[in-house]
Amino acid sequence: MIELKHVSKVYSNGTRGLNNIHLQMEAGEFIVIVGLSGAGKSTLLRSINRLHDISEGEILINGNSITKAKGRELYRIRRDIGMIFQNFNLVRRSSVMRNVLSGRVGYHSTLKMMFGLFSKQDKQIAIDALERVNILEKAYIRADQLSGGQQQRVSIARALAQEAKVILADEPVASLDPITTKQVMDDLYRINQELNITMVVNLHSVDLARAYASRIIGLKNGEVVFDGTAKEATREVFANIYGKNNQTMNQIGVAK
Amino acid sequence: MKRIRLITILIVTSAIYIWAFTGLPKIEWKETSVEVVSAIFSGLFQPDWSYVYDPGGEDLLQGLFDTLAIALLSTFIAGILCIPFAFLASKNIVKSHLAVGTSKFILSFIRVFPDIVLALLFIKAVGPGAFAGVLALGIGAVGMLGKLISESVDNVDLSAKEALIASGANPVKTFIFAIVPQVLPNFFSFILYRFEVNVRAAAVLGVIGAGGIGTPLIFALSVRDWERVGIILLGIIVMVTLIDIISGKLRAKLI
Repeated sequence: MIELKHVSKVYSNGTRGLNNIHLQMEAGEFIVIVGLSGAGKSTLLRSINRLHDISEGEILINGNSITKAKGRELYRIRRDIGMIFQNFNLVRRSSVMRNVLSGRVGYHSTLKMMFGLFSKQDKQIAIDALERVNILEKAYIRADQLSGGQQQRVSIARALAQEAKVILADEPVASLDPITTKQVMDDLYRINQELNITMVVNLHSVDLARAYASRIIGLKNGEVVFDGTAKEATREVFANIYGKNNQTMNQIGVAK
Repeated sequence: MKRIRLITILIVTSAIYIWAFTGLPKIEWKETSVEVVSAIFSGLFQPDWSYVYDPGGEDLLQGLFDTLAIALLSTFIAGILCIPFAFLASKNIVKSHLAVGTSKFILSFIRVFPDIVLALLFIKAVGPGAFAGVLALGIGAVGMLGKLISESVDNVDLSAKEALIASGANPVKTFIFAIVPQVLPNFFSFILYRFEVNVRAAAVLGVIGAGGIGTPLIFALSVRDWERVGIILLGIIVMVTLIDIISGKLRAKLI
């Protein structure tokens, strides 16, 4: 469903973010991308929905090239791809409900959206999404009144309201404590299982990757150095991804 | 070294002060000064209450109402006119340096003119009266509102914009959902503040003939009708205070 064909990305300052990435992601997978900071995880994720343009290659979403898409076609393809960010990226001054409804804007005309005219159906979809992440009772509270974990759940609800078929999550738990981390990862897992929404999640914790992923992709210096199931991802594999530095290994939580 | 610098600064500053004060004309009390001042005060304490409401002619309430109307209309005009400039002058919205620079320049250019100068220009252009006042304050406020609002647009958190783009929103939808909610409270707060400023300015502009309560004030002053001056000043004080209180409360709620 997502196909990366020999994708490379060179930044304007000459650094190579991605180097000849060739991947195929299937519907329903729970893919975790691991790698050191700067390995290109974020760049890879943002290339999929074209928040970043790539320099070479092509990316297909359900057979449609997002690389070549323009205007409406691009918006249409992006509508099917939800995204969750490390810092939640909510409109902090707006209510939770309005934030979730903002996931629906791709379905309506610009004119309607200028006046904020959402249908009853939209509101129902937003309510269902909030219910799924157990935060419905906060619907009419301002987003900045919520804790980090709650805000992340609102952003998951926004991706659900978007009725996306894929959710990209860029370090979704990096700014959360261990308990909320588990809650948020459980939510993502449940959504993957119950709604069959494909998950592509960037993580730097190896333990989390092992616990939730159906498939792990290891990135190093913008290249895929591992692609396999969680079981195949042994200590040696992670040593290769992260370098053989014991201190780093301990920090990222590889059991000895 | 530090000490020498300090002493030099002290000497230079005191020299400037001495030069400035020696240049002042001698302060003299005119013979009539005491008389005039006491007349103003007695006028203030014995205001001409009959002027407050006069169904037939021009009274205090009519003048205050005109002033308020000038302030309201000019703030409304400025509130709308400043919007495009405010966004065009922000690098968060417009990528083109030329557009941002031009908008900033226009806003600065408007701010150069004091309200009184603008009012004099418009009085020449459209004749004396409330309309000149509305135009002067309406145009004058664009400079200040545009600058303040564009600064608040500059401080907008752009992360929500990224989320909206990722969800397939076009630039207009992104702007409305990610930027506008962050700017709107500040926008209304600045508008209310400018309304307070405009009420005061509108009261003064009448003195040079731009309509409102200033016109009867300058007439009363020139015929030394101190009781009338007193009631007009009281009226202005009450109106300005009330508006400041109400607008202050509203603004506190917005932010």
